[in-house]
Amino acid sequence: MTSHQPVTIVMIEDDEGHARLIERNIRRAGIFNDIRHFLDGTSALEFLFNGKDGPSMNGPALILLDLNLPDMSGTDILAKIKAAPSLKRTPVVVLTTTDDKVEIQRCYDLGCNVYVTKPVNYEAFAEAIRQLGLFLSVIQVPEAGK
Amino acid sequence: MTAAAITEAGAVAAEVRAARRVRQLMLLAVSLGFLVLVGVSILTVVLVSRDQDFTHWVNHTYQVDQKIGDLRVTLERTEGAQRGYLITGDALYLDGYRTSANRLPQLVETLRALMADNSAEQHNVDLLQSRITQMLAMQESTLQAARMDARPTDPAALIRADQPLLNAVRDIALGMANEEGRLLEERSSGQAANAEMLLVVELASGIMLALIAVGAFVLMRRYAADLDRSQLALRKMNEGLEDAVQARTQDLTRANEEIQRFAYIVSHDLRAPLVNIMGFTSELEVALKALHRLADTVEAEAPALMFPDARTAVEEDLPESIGFIRSSTQKMDRLINAILKLSREGRRTLNPEDIAMDALIEGIAASLQHQADAREAVVEIEGTLPNLQSDRLATEQVFGNIVENALKYLKPGRPGHVIVRGRTEGAFNIYEIQDNGRGIDAKDYERVFELFRRAGAQDQPGEGIGLAHVRALIVRLGGTISLESALDQGTTFRVSLPRTARRIEDKPV
Repeated sequence: MTSHQPVTIVMIEDDEGHARLIERNIRRAGIFNDIRHFLDGTSALEFLFNGKDGPSMNGPALILLDLNLPDMSGTDILAKIKAAPSLKRTPVVVLTTTDDKVEIQRCYDLGCNVYVTKPVNYEAFAEAIRQLGLFLSVIQVPEAGK
Repeated sequence: MTAAAITEAGAVAAEVRAARRVRQLMLLAVSLGFLVLVGVSILTVVLVSRDQDFTHWVNHTYQVDQKIGDLRVTLERTEGAQRGYLITGDALYLDGYRTSANRLPQLVETLRALMADNSAEQHNVDLLQSRITQMLAMQESTLQAARMDARPTDPAALIRADQPLLNAVRDIALGMANEEGRLLEERSSGQAANAEMLLVVELASGIMLALIAVGAFVLMRRYAADLDRSQLALRKMNEGLEDAVQARTQDLTRANEEIQRFAYIVSHDLRAPLVNIMGFTSELEVALKALHRLADTVEAEAPALMFPDARTAVEEDLPESIGFIRSSTQKMDRLINAILKLSREGRRTLNPEDIAMDALIEGIAASLQHQADAREAVVEIEGTLPNLQSDRLATEQVFGNIVENALKYLKPGRPGHVIVRGRTEGAFNIYEIQDNGRGIDAKDYERVFELFRRAGAQDQPGEGIGLAHVRALIVRLGGTISLESALDQGTTFRVSLPRTARRIEDKPV
């Protein structure tokens, strides 16, 4: 990573089990960045847009987004992020159970950078997260405001 | 159809039935009338011809009567002339006598000819002829005698001598005249009766004609009214039916969409906890490995500290439990994927295109060649299959699934034989896929089409999805599927598909 500031991973995921599994696998992949976990869309958006140490105010970030959230649709959050000048360059990884190709297309249309399906097969799941970790280690995450 | 529409349709049907009965009765009556009319016409012809006969015979009788009169006058004239000559001796009377006497036999012959039809009178004619001959001979001899005498001494005596024969002839002629009179009366009255009958028949036929005309008119009006009414009823029913069909189609579409959405959401939401179960089971496995290492170490270094049940738990119970959780979750994942697949198939756009069915089935058979060879089975197309205009992918899946099933569930020890045949019935093509496999028990005919249900020995891999999927696809293509089967004999699947399928757009969830 070229940035002096460490990239914060913002995980928006309502299922705590999933969140825990994702975190474990990210750690296993050797990524030790700070992970901020949000269980719903509202608090996640509050942090993203207005948080003191959120990505629009301070520091680069990477967003892991689940599409099935209790209070709003993940695609709505994606649209909001990609429409905000201060956030639109922040990479968004959609990580969800839906493998419907229409849904995937919509996410890419809205500007999602990577779409990962959560496979039920855990090995595949772990592998996907590890790949994501690899991905995290090579991508250039833009700093806020740039 | 709504209840009201059904009631209305029933009422209309009853009305139509009643109207039909009345019409049939009327039709019968009118046809009967026509039949009677034909009879009356024939009767009229007969009566008219009989009238002509009567007229002929009456005229004939008049003719005969006239001739008899002639005969009687000539007879009297003969008698008169003879008497004149006998008294006066004038030759003029003799000439008159000769003329009249010569006429008499001619008149008798004429009468004989005229009365040829009457055998009874023939006898009288014979009698008349013989008497006249006798009379004429007698008169002739009297005249001869008188001529010899030149002046008869007693002409009155001579005349008297002739009288008995003359009187006999007179009587016969009178009798004949009387007979003719009787015949005339008889024939005249017959003619009168005939004429009366003719009048009655004509009158009756006239009345009948009028009745038939009225009947036909009423019938026609009734027909026209019925026609109008039934057309109106039909139009009303059609309109009602269209509305009902439209409403029903909307209901069905909505219900179908709801089921699709439900299946989609359920399968997605079921997947999330499944990810956790699988994930944390794997985490448990990882943790178990650590425990296993610990147990090994403890056993090696301080066996006294090792609990036997801890050993069993680490080596047997935990791996077994984890194994069951894993296999169950995998199965659940497959089932959820199946529901998801069905739900997706239910929403896929159907693009009807021309499909050469022979080629399609041959393609399916070729793709299953390996399976068929392994089971010594052949797939055969009987005759030529009628072509379809339908969604290619869906049609391929339908027939692929059924043929694959046929190859899968063969009777062990019997070479498989799968026959595909097809025919056209109205707007539908009917395809039959017949196998000689292990068959399906009658109680399982419906069950095999249900999701996750299977029939018979569970010796083949599968989730019980194939036929459920097939039926869902066929229903979506607007067709039906049924089966006939006998255990150990084989199964025939009958797929009925519209020759031209509707285009159905993809519906987002």
